[in-house]
Amino acid sequence: MGGNLLMTAQRRKQRTALLLLLPALVIVLIFFGLPTIFMARMSFNLHPDQRLFVPGFTFEHYAALLSNPVFTGAIWTTVKLAVMASFATVVIGYAFALIVWLKPPRWRLLLIGVALCPLLISEIAIIFGWWMFFPKNGLLSYALHSLGLVNDKISLMYTEFAAFVGLIYVTLPYCFFILLSIFDGIDRRMIEASADLGAPPLTTLREVLLPLTWTGLLVAFSQSFIWTMGTYATPSALGPDTLWTVGYLIQEQMLGKHNWPLAAALSMVLVLGVAAVMVLTRSLMPKRASYHV
Amino acid sequence: MSDALARRGFEPVMLKALGAAFMVFIIAYILIPVLVTLVMSFNDASMIRFPINAWSLKWYQDFFASPQWTDALKSSVIIATGTAILSTVSGILAAWAFERFPIPFKNVLYLLIMLPLFMPGVVLGLGIAMTFGGVQIAGVSIYGSRALVMIAHSLWAMPLVFMLMEATFRTVDYRVVEASYDLGANPLRTFIEIVVPMVSTGVISSALFAFVISLNEFVMALFLTDRDTQTLPVLMWLSLRSAGTPRLAVASVILALTVFACLALILVWYVRQLRKVSRN
Repeated sequence: MGGNLLMTAQRRKQRTALLLLLPALVIVLIFFGLPTIFMARMSFNLHPDQRLFVPGFTFEHYAALLSNPVFTGAIWTTVKLAVMASFATVVIGYAFALIVWLKPPRWRLLLIGVALCPLLISEIAIIFGWWMFFPKNGLLSYALHSLGLVNDKISLMYTEFAAFVGLIYVTLPYCFFILLSIFDGIDRRMIEASADLGAPPLTTLREVLLPLTWTGLLVAFSQSFIWTMGTYATPSALGPDTLWTVGYLIQEQMLGKHNWPLAAALSMVLVLGVAAVMVLTRSLMPKRASYHV
Repeated sequence: MSDALARRGFEPVMLKALGAAFMVFIIAYILIPVLVTLVMSFNDASMIRFPINAWSLKWYQDFFASPQWTDALKSSVIIATGTAILSTVSGILAAWAFERFPIPFKNVLYLLIMLPLFMPGVVLGLGIAMTFGGVQIAGVSIYGSRALVMIAHSLWAMPLVFMLMEATFRTVDYRVVEASYDLGANPLRTFIEIVVPMVSTGVISSALFAFVISLNEFVMALFLTDRDTQTLPVLMWLSLRSAGTPRLAVASVILALTVFACLALILVWYVRQLRKVSRN
C-alpha cells in the first residue's frame, strides 16, 4: 500500500517534470530536430533545372561535394580558416586572460568591460567597423599616411588578413572568458612557488600554467572552431571574393541559385563538422574535468 | 653564473614590457571598430572616408526620418521582446525541472536542449526556412512572420537561459520552499511567490541576455524575414552589400545603445537587490 502510494507520487513528479520541460522540448524538437531531419532528407532529393527540388533519392549532391573543385575548395578553405583563426584567437585570448588574471583587481573590471564589447555588439556592426578601417579611404590608410609611414594610400580591405582580423574579433571574447574562468580557479601561490624554486617566467608558463589550463585551451579552441566554421558574413564581407566558405555557399545555393538539396547537403556537412569537433574535444578532455561542450 | 643572473633579471623586465605592449594592442584592437563607427556616425559628408571634415547630426535625423529604417528598428525590438519572453519562460521551466524533479534520460535531454546553441545560424535558419517555408496556419503563411524569427532566435537564447537559471536555482535555499509546501501552498503558488522572487536577478539577467542575442542576430533573420518584417541588422547587411553610408554607422550606434541600455538595466537591478539584502 505504502509502496504503491510512493510509486504514484513518483509518477506524478515525473509527469510534472515532463510538463515543465514541454515548452523547451517543443521548441527544440519541432524547430531544431524536425528541420534537421527534413534537411537530411532534402539533401537526397533531386534538383532538376527551374525547380527548388523534386522528391527522389540520389547521392549526386554528396558526390558533387566530394568531386566538384568549387565545393572541395570551399570545405578546405573553411577548415583552414577555422583552424588558423581559432589558433590565433586562443593565443591572443590566452595572453589576455593571463594578464588580466595577474593584474591587480582595480584593472580587472575595466579590462573585463573592454572584453565584453565584441560580445555585445552585433556581428554586422563589427563588420561595418572594420569595413571603415581597412579600405583606401579608411582610418588605417589615413593614419599611416599622415604619420608619414607610407607614401601612397593603402588598402587592406578584401584580403585574408582583414577576414582574420574580423573573425578573431568576434570569437575572442568567448575564448577570453572561458580561459579567465579557468585561470581564476588556479591558486596564484603556484607561480610564486615556481619562481621561488628558481624557474624563470617562461618555464613557469610551460611547466605550471599550461598543464593546468589545458582543458580551458581545448574548450576555447573548439568553441571558436565551431563558431568560425559556421559563420559566413565576416569572411565574405571583409575577405577577398574568392574566399568561399561552406556557410557562404549554403547561402548562395539557397537564396541565389534556389538549389535546396545542395544547400541541405552543405548544411549537413557543417552539422557533421560541429558534431565531430564536439566528440573530438570530449575525447581529448581529461576524464575528471566536467566542462560542458 | 653571472650570465644566468643577468638572464633572470632581464627576462621579467622584458616580459613586463611585452605585457604592457600587448595590453595596448588588445585595447586598441577591441576599441578601433567601436570608435570608428561612433566617429563616423557624426560625419556630415555622405561618403565614408577619412579624414572627416565636417560634423553634424544629419545622419541621425536621416535615420529617424526614414520609415524603412525605423520600421526595421521596431521589428527588431518586437522580435527581441518576443524571444526574451519565449526563451525565458521555457528556459526557466526546464531548468526548474532539471533542478527539482527526477527526469528519465537526463543526459540526453540536457544535450538536446543545449545542442542548438552549438549549431551555426546559417544551418538553423536554412532548416527552419525549408521546413516551414510553405506552411500556412489559418490561411496565413508563417514564413516571413515575426513569430517564426522569435522561435528561431530562441534556439540560441533558450539554452543560455537554461544554463544560467540552472546555476541560479542551485543557489536557492530549499528549506524555504519546503516550508511553503508545509504551510499548504501548492507547487505552482510556491514557485511563483517564493522561488521566482529569490532568483529575480537571474531571471532579469537571462531575459535581457536573450533580448540582446535576438537584437544582434542577423543570419537566421536574413533567411526568415521578408521586406515587411526585416530586422535592423538584416537591413544593415543588405545595404552594406550595396553601398555603405554613414547611415549604417548611425544604425550601429543605435543598436549598440539599445544593448548597453539593457546592460545598465541589469546593473541597476543587481545593485537594488544588493541594497535590499544589506538592509535586511
